[in-house]
Amino acid sequence: MYQIPRAEWYDLTRATNWTPSYVSEEELFPEEMSGARGIPMAVWETYDEPYKVTYPEYVEIQRQKDAGAYSVKAALERDAYVDRADPGWISTMMAHYGAIAVNEYAASVAEARMARFSKAPGNRNMAVFGTLDENRHGQIQLFFPHANVKRNRQWDWAHKAMHTNEWAAIAARAFFDDIMLCRDAIAVSIMLTFSFETGFTNMQFLGLAADASEAGDHTFASLISSVQTDEARHAQQGGPSLKILIANGHKEEAQKMVDISIWRAWKLFSVLTGPIMDYYTPLEHRSQSFKEFMVEWIITQFERQLVDLGLDAPWYWEDLTKDLDTTHHGMHLGVWYWRPTVWWNPAAGASPEDRQWLEEKYPGWNKTWGRCWDVITDNLNNDREDLTLPETLPYICNMSQLPIVGTPGDGWDVKDYTLEHNGRLYHFGSKADRWCFEQDPVRHQEHQSLIDRFLSGQIQPADLPGALAYMGLGPGEMGQDAHNYAWAAAFKKQAKVA
Amino acid sequence: MSDSQTDTLKPLKTWSHLSKQRKRPSEYEVVSTNLHFHTNNPDKPFEVGRDAKMNDWYIKYRNNSPLKHQGWDAFRDPEQLIYRTYNILQEGQEAYVTGLLDQFSERGNDQMISKQWAQELNRLYAPTRYLYHALQMGASYLHQMSPASTISNLATYQAGDHLRWLTHTAYRTCELAKTWDGIGLGENERNHWENDAAWQGFRELAEKALITWDWAEATIVFDVILKPAVSAAVQKQLGLAGAENADTLLSLLNDAQLRDAERHQRQTKALIDFALTNTDNAPIIQAWVDKWQPLADKAINAYCAALTDLPDAAEEARAYAAAVRQSFGLK
Repeated sequence: MYQIPRAEWYDLTRATNWTPSYVSEEELFPEEMSGARGIPMAVWETYDEPYKVTYPEYVEIQRQKDAGAYSVKAALERDAYVDRADPGWISTMMAHYGAIAVNEYAASVAEARMARFSKAPGNRNMAVFGTLDENRHGQIQLFFPHANVKRNRQWDWAHKAMHTNEWAAIAARAFFDDIMLCRDAIAVSIMLTFSFETGFTNMQFLGLAADASEAGDHTFASLISSVQTDEARHAQQGGPSLKILIANGHKEEAQKMVDISIWRAWKLFSVLTGPIMDYYTPLEHRSQSFKEFMVEWIITQFERQLVDLGLDAPWYWEDLTKDLDTTHHGMHLGVWYWRPTVWWNPAAGASPEDRQWLEEKYPGWNKTWGRCWDVITDNLNNDREDLTLPETLPYICNMSQLPIVGTPGDGWDVKDYTLEHNGRLYHFGSKADRWCFEQDPVRHQEHQSLIDRFLSGQIQPADLPGALAYMGLGPGEMGQDAHNYAWAAAFKKQAKVA
Repeated sequence: MSDSQTDTLKPLKTWSHLSKQRKRPSEYEVVSTNLHFHTNNPDKPFEVGRDAKMNDWYIKYRNNSPLKHQGWDAFRDPEQLIYRTYNILQEGQEAYVTGLLDQFSERGNDQMISKQWAQELNRLYAPTRYLYHALQMGASYLHQMSPASTISNLATYQAGDHLRWLTHTAYRTCELAKTWDGIGLGENERNHWENDAAWQGFRELAEKALITWDWAEATIVFDVILKPAVSAAVQKQLGLAGAENADTLLSLLNDAQLRDAERHQRQTKALIDFALTNTDNAPIIQAWVDKWQPLADKAINAYCAALTDLPDAAEEARAYAAAVRQSFGLK
């Protein structure tokens, strides 16, 4: 490191705004890309990133981090953990890599938006490191799964998924494209770094790392916890933007950006991370339930951060807290039932022991979700696998692009929140999903969900095989039950013993 | 749902999109290729409604660029740089620079230069942080607009390099001010950058380059026109002037940065060679060069006129920039 303490020269690295005269300020920072919202350049210069790093520090620290993560991988390669890991854990990795790796790379584009267009010089510099970070996360999370492509065609989806119209890929893109690729620099700093990265990546990367360690997958654990150390740094770009917006009369808009991003992130996590944590991860390796992770990282910690910054908890906070008990169970049931439509093998996670755990963590589970799984289990144990497989497609929310779910059982409560806009009827999975649409109908109005495409004849033949072809899923890629129904057979054995 | 074993897709040795190539893919190819899913649908880049405005920006300035190629994704960086190797490379380069800074600090470099040279540095060196920052912003734009991940990645690491140069300048400005207090170091750079005649050519070119939205034209303006001019005048000629004025540190520091610049030039050459595999592109690129080159010459002339110790500076700098263009096969 250079001799003179960083504090003495750091400010010079971010004294880089000037007054242009060969072009206008509006040309140099177009509002649609910069999002300065009328706040003067001089005010943006007060932006003070809480986590400061300089170039020589960055390359040194990052070189060391990579050396650590790559050497763990190299050392454990021969151990071939993947060949003896529980199939549920393999599915966890496949779902994670497919949904995350290429989107992390895409996040480098969003970081570059800030690096070019933010009027805050500190933001521009930090976003250069953020761009590099996301380049790292894309690359490292492609390199690791690539070692497994020889094992199974589903591993190819670590790279392939985002290039397809597979429904979960559409849902992931719909979220990330909305909050990071199609936003101005300041909105990116709030919707991607503050809202999404502060809360949700913590949960995905630290929560999953805890499970990975428990499961003995030290390669994955070291990889994703290393990724999270970068996220923890560059996630701090949003806080100073929020402070500036709030201090300059834009609290309402700032709050709205946060609320949209958190809701949409929650819905994506309810289908991606919820099933992983509560169903795919082998029971003995689950460190906490999905709900417990959500309560710790989002409801408690993130709410505190919002309040510290002078924002409020989102208006739907009560609904979200309530949904922590239900939504992801419905998503999981849907993903398992429609298993040929995903690139991983969903683990049912519904063995007698699993169900006991679920009942403990989610009292009432057996009376609701359990009743669906009872029927599935019976069918499987009576050689009627055909009844556990889909013939049609589910109804899909026009915001989250995910199935519209409710809680089964006596209180069956599925509800379609509809909206008629410009003569078209839209369907939403919740009040908050509909609210997200209503905040900017123009942005969303033309988008067609997978079901809209199906009904308008874009998917041919108009049946499930046609839809699978549209989604890019061939035999050997389509999901099957991860454990070949061994969990259901366990009930048969139980019955015999009784 | 049947799952016939005969139809089951077999595992491959690499990603399906790379499996048809004969050569075994390198680590670089495994982690760098075909990552921009938003180039798949040319009419609607993003998974939002068509009316979301960002679609228009990418359709207009990326998808509908006059520079066409049927498969930008086939471009490969000749340096095969990836994140992991970039940090290894630059940690080493920074260790070298740290060594330089330490040695010259111990030797009393800043005490041995003249006050006049310190004032020259205040005027002609310290403001480079604005110029380098403009390059950093430009590279960040190219990253987000390039039509293939392998092209974006060139800009990713180049943006890092420009922040590196800016950091050197900021550090040296602070260090020089400790010896040469009261001459405006750390205070007057913005004024010089905005008003001093020496800088106005570069500022004009940088500002106009920064609002060149077409990705391909912006690539030409930054990588063929502006950056070689910066290397020629501000890194090379200023470094030589430093050597003339007992400021060996400056010339060595600038040389260290030129290693980055030369890498950028090798990458640019490969990109232009690749673009020229479509012969329709040649006149388009040359027209952009012709349109922008006068501004670069003007910038070089204005800056080098201030290097009074080096009467041939402008001529040499223009020759350097011309040689770089020729190495790209351009006039």
